[in-house]
Amino acid sequence: MARTVPNLTMDDIALEKIDDYRWRIPRSYKPGMRVPGIIYADEKLLKDIRQDKALEQVANVAFLPGIVKASLAMPDIHWGYGFPIGGVAATDIENGGVVSPGGVGFDINCGVRLVRTDLQFEDVKDKLKELTYALFSDVPSGVGSKGDIRVGAKEEKELLVKGAKWAVEKGLGTQDDLDCTEEEGAIQGADPAAVSERAYERGKAQSGTLGSGNHFLEVQAIDQLYDRDACDALGLNSGQIMVMIHSGSRGFGYQVCEDYTRSMVHCLAKYNISVPDRQLACAPVNSAEGKAYLGAMKCAANYAWANRQCLMHLTRRAFERIFNMSWQKLGMSLIYDVAHNIAKIEKHIVDGKEKTLCVHRKGATRSIPAGHPALPQKYKKLGQPVIIPGDMGRNSYLLIGQEGAAETFYSACHGAGRVKSRTASARSTNADTLLKELASRGIIVKASGRETIVEEAPQAYKDVNDVVDVVHNAGLAKRVCRMRPLGVIKG
Amino acid sequence: MRIKGKDLKDLFKHAGLAVFQVSSRRQFTRNKTHIDIPVKLSADNLEELFVNWLNELLSLSQARGLIFHDLKIKKVEGGSLDAVAVGSDIANYKVNTEIKAATFHELKIAQGGSGWEAKVILDV
Repeated sequence: MARTVPNLTMDDIALEKIDDYRWRIPRSYKPGMRVPGIIYADEKLLKDIRQDKALEQVANVAFLPGIVKASLAMPDIHWGYGFPIGGVAATDIENGGVVSPGGVGFDINCGVRLVRTDLQFEDVKDKLKELTYALFSDVPSGVGSKGDIRVGAKEEKELLVKGAKWAVEKGLGTQDDLDCTEEEGAIQGADPAAVSERAYERGKAQSGTLGSGNHFLEVQAIDQLYDRDACDALGLNSGQIMVMIHSGSRGFGYQVCEDYTRSMVHCLAKYNISVPDRQLACAPVNSAEGKAYLGAMKCAANYAWANRQCLMHLTRRAFERIFNMSWQKLGMSLIYDVAHNIAKIEKHIVDGKEKTLCVHRKGATRSIPAGHPALPQKYKKLGQPVIIPGDMGRNSYLLIGQEGAAETFYSACHGAGRVKSRTASARSTNADTLLKELASRGIIVKASGRETIVEEAPQAYKDVNDVVDVVHNAGLAKRVCRMRPLGVIKG
Repeated sequence: MRIKGKDLKDLFKHAGLAVFQVSSRRQFTRNKTHIDIPVKLSADNLEELFVNWLNELLSLSQARGLIFHDLKIKKVEGGSLDAVAVGSDIANYKVNTEIKAATFHELKIAQGGSGWEAKVILDV
C-alpha cells in the first residue's frame, strides 16, 4: 500500500512511495492533472532529482489531453523545457490525445548506436591515441561543423523518407545495419512537404556531422558482463572493444521543433487546451496540425538515422586505416541504434484494452521484450538492445528490453541525467585538471573546444551505474554488459 | 538569460546580441563582408514576439553561416517587429556553444521603474 513520505527534502512535492523504485505524484497535487505522475528512482537518486524542477514538470505533463495511465519519469530525469528530460507520456489518439513538439524536443531522434568489434583491449591499447586522433579528424564535430557527405537538393527529400537506407544505398552501410536500427532506420509516414524551407536550409551540409554539446563518439572496452547468455548471443566478451555514437538531427530537427512549437502555441486556444507551460504546446494527433507535425518530425527522425549511419561509416573507415583491415574483418557490426527523443504511434494495452497511443519519449529509450513484433528477426528471442550512455569518465551500458516495461509503454532511461547545468559544471571544472585525471585512468579526450570538456565533466552527471540499477531492478530492462570509455570524441 | 533595456527596442536588441555574445567570440578576420538581413515578425503577444525573434536570429545564423553583431530595431509595437540583423561570417568567430532555441519555459517580460526586463531559458 502506498504511504506518504513527507520532508524527504526541501521540495514541496510529497511523493507517495509505491515500492523501492517507484514513486507517485498524486493527481491531487495540482488541479488539472488528468493522471498521476510516476517516477522511477531509488531514494539516493530522488535526492538529486529533487534538486531541480523536474518533478513539477512531470506534474505539468499530466495535464495533456488524452494522456493515459501516468506521466512517467525515468531515473535519469532532469529539468527540461516543458517536458522533463527522461519523461514518457502516452496519449490515446482516439480520445482527443495530443502530440506535443516539446514532448520530443529540439533534437528530434537524438539517439545512440553501438557498434561491436572483434578487437580486444590488448589490440588497441598501443594505438588508442592514434585511433582517437584519426576519429577526431575523420568525423566532423563541433558547433557548425560541416560534413564531407554531400546531399544534393533533389536527394534531400529522398533522404528524409528513406532515412538510413539512403546512406546504405550510397554504399555507406549494409542491410544488416538497417535490420539493427529501430524502425529499420526510417519511420514510415515522413512528409517532406510538411518541412519548412528554413529547416532544409538549416540542415544543409550537416549530414555526417556529430554536432556538439553532449554528443559524442566513444571507443569503449567491455569491463563487466552481467548476462552471459545474452553476451554470447550478441558476440560480446570481457575486454572487447566497442564504439558508441551519440548524435541527432542537428539544425534540421531544431527548426522542425521550433516551427511547430510556434504554430502549436496557437492550437491551445483553437482546441481549448489548458496546459501550465506554453512549451507544452500541442494539438490533437488527428488534427491537421498534429498530422503535419508528425509528418515533419518523422523527416527529422529519418535525417538523424541517416546521419548516424554516415557517422558509423566514417568510424569504420578510420578503424580500417589504423588497423589496416576491412571493417568486416574487424567484425564491426552494428548491435543496435535507438532513438531517445521521439513520438511514435504504437499499440499498447491500457486497462485491459488495446489502444493506439502517441508515445512521447523525451530522453527515454524504447525497451521491448523478446517476442515483440517490432523486433528484427535476429533479436526476436533476445529482446531489444537498450543502449545507455554515461558520462566520459565512468561507464555506459547495454541492456535488453523486458516485459516489465509494459508499464512504461516499453520505455527505459536514456543516459545518466544531469545534476549540474552546463554553466555550473563549467564554473566548477578546470579543463586541464580534468583531462589529466581522465588520462591517468587511460581515457583520451579530443574535443573541438575546451568549453565542451568542462560542460560535460563527469561530475555534471548522475552516476549511470545508479540509474541503470533502478531500470534493472524495476524490471524495465536487464543489464547485459558494461563498458568503460577509452577514447572520447566530443563536439 | 536575464536581459534589461530602457525600452522595448533596447530590450530586443540586447537580448538578440546576448544570444551570440554568450555563445561565440570574434577571433579572426577571414571575411570582412557584413550582411544585412531584414527581419519582420508578427505574433499574438509580446512574449511570443520575443521568443520568435530570438529563434529567428538563431535559425538565420545557422542557415546562413553568420554571427549577428549588430541589430537595428526599427519598430517593436502591437505584436510586430521590424528590424535589420547585421552579421558577419561565422568563420570569423570561435563558437563555443550551440544554442538550439529560445523556449517559452518560465519566460518573463516585465516593465519596471527603470525600463524593461526579460528572463528567457535557452536550450543548449
